[in-house]
Amino acid sequence: MTVNELIKKVFFVEILKGLALTLKHLFSPAVTRQYPTEKREPFPGSRGLHALVRDPETGREKCVGCGLCAAMCPSRCIHIYTSEGDDHKKVVDRYEVDVLRCVFCALCVEACPYGALVLTPHYEYSGYTREEFYYTKDRLLENWDKYMAGPRGAEYLEKFWRPKSSDFGVRVESHMEEGAKS
Amino acid sequence: MEKFSEGPGNREETSRLSSNGLTLNIGPQHPATHGVLRLVVDLDGETIVKCTPYVGYLHRGVEKLSEHRNYMQILPFTDRLDYVSAMSNNIGYCTAVEKMFGIELPERTEYIRTIIGEMSRIVNHLLWLATHALDIGAMTVFLYCFREREKLLDLFERLCGARLTMSYTRIGGLKNDVDEQWLKDLYEFTDEFPMRIEQYETLIDKNRIWLKRTKGIGVISAEEAINWGLSGPTLRGSGVPYDIRTDMSYGVYDKVKWQVCTGKNGDVYDRYRVRMEEFRQSNSIIRQCIDQIPEGPIMADAPKFTLPAKDKVLSDMEHLIHHFVLVTKGPQTAPEGELYVATEVPKGELGFFFVSDGTGKPYRMRIRSPSFVHVAALPRLCEGELIADLISNIGSIDIVLGECDR
Ligand code: SF4
Ligand code: SF4
Repeated sequence: MTVNELIKKVFFVEILKGLALTLKHLFSPAVTRQYPTEKREPFPGSRGLHALVRDPETGREKCVGCGLCAAMCPSRCIHIYTSEGDDHKKVVDRYEVDVLRCVFCALCVEACPYGALVLTPHYEYSGYTREEFYYTKDRLLENWDKYMAGPRGAEYLEKFWRPKSSDFGVRVESHMEEGAKS
Repeated sequence: MEKFSEGPGNREETSRLSSNGLTLNIGPQHPATHGVLRLVVDLDGETIVKCTPYVGYLHRGVEKLSEHRNYMQILPFTDRLDYVSAMSNNIGYCTAVEKMFGIELPERTEYIRTIIGEMSRIVNHLLWLATHALDIGAMTVFLYCFREREKLLDLFERLCGARLTMSYTRIGGLKNDVDEQWLKDLYEFTDEFPMRIEQYETLIDKNRIWLKRTKGIGVISAEEAINWGLSGPTLRGSGVPYDIRTDMSYGVYDKVKWQVCTGKNGDVYDRYRVRMEEFRQSNSIIRQCIDQIPEGPIMADAPKFTLPAKDKVLSDMEHLIHHFVLVTKGPQTAPEGELYVATEVPKGELGFFFVSDGTGKPYRMRIRSPSFVHVAALPRLCEGELIADLISNIGSIDIVLGECDR
């Protein structure tokens, strides 16, 4: 052991260095947040509670009840019940999401060809019963009004309702033909 | 366990205690086991004579479940294998499926995947360092690591909307593109990060307590490490320069400068050093990728396997039909056969083995997870050592039980 090493050992040099670093941090601004009182705004497109898009023209849901979202859902938590309406059109009687089963993967959003379903950035929901987490059609539409109405919804669909032609680059045309063959 | 019928304080009992072993059950709920791992250790005094890991407490049947989901739907399950580095698992799974389908990825996608793969490596190693140091008794490192981890998780959230279970990659591409601002913010992070690594090292690298707890503990030779099937930093700590990224089978690792980090002695300290070096390597890979990233499409030209463009779906009948078929049944033109593809995730070699019968779902999917193999090697590492070192050994092999039990 050289003299230098001995001095380092006796005077706890490496430990003092570490302590100096922690001491420095004592005077730097805090990086933590006091959560319930001080909230962090989630980024746009954050995957939280579901919402059904409300069509501004009709004032009703945009969903046509095709059932693709339910087929795509890996945790099988979307339940859709439809019936035939007056002019042989499909009517969505019930549209329900069992949020407790959901894994928030947003595959349902991608599966929906009509852009009728979104995941809102709302993440703070808690309750005492299971029923509170069984979201019916009306409650899902309400979520849209509360969290996504206005430009937010359009922004969300633009960024997260993908893929779009631009994602495929220039080869969109060939895509169309080959897709038809398979 | 030996049953001691009489109460303590009995002289005869005390002498029997010292000569007979004690069987101790650790877990499944134990803070230092990084999940629900149960260990039964036979002790002689403080020395471990035998250690038996019991796994399966977190078994969710991902492999079986996958047989009933089409290839697209399996993706969210892979998030939940190693939930600390979900992005890497996504890449691993998609790479495997793309190899099977014969999909060529656009260059931009390869670059983005390399970037997020390395980000995920940093996130994983940060959490590893934090918990490993906490196990050994250094609390401050934990808080500092989480500060940096938070920044990367924020970037992940801006990118795909989730902080932990990302599901960001898609078969043949990505969920959505990165934007300029995002790349700029990531670049800023990489500017600052090397300084942060030095801070962690100031705290523990030469700290005499840390050295005592890690040097010469859990030594495994290169040959034995290979025989036990170890991979990733745990293997490289023993001096074996094996890294699947060097195969160039995925990502753009051939277009950037980096090197495989190895240790020498194969002890807990060397495995720690390897991961610290990987921080620097990953940081530099990210920077080079951001410098080189080209413009272009992010989805591959593979219409049989990728969802058609949304704007086409509503205007074109063929696209709509194709969309319906893909979503409800999965890709109908999957090739038949068997295939194994491995990628280098932060913990080691993550492999996916598929048996495909040509339908939209895998006939069988098997996951080769590094954590499972590492848990199997745990008895070899800690038998003959002190019980106090068991915890640093568990930390050094970097396991996540979600991946181990699947
Ligand atoms: S987010 Fe995923 S799990 Fe939840 S409803 Fe949609 S598809 Fe199902
Ligand atoms: S996929 Fe869209 S339109 Fe079809 S049922 Fe689901 S939400 Fe409604």
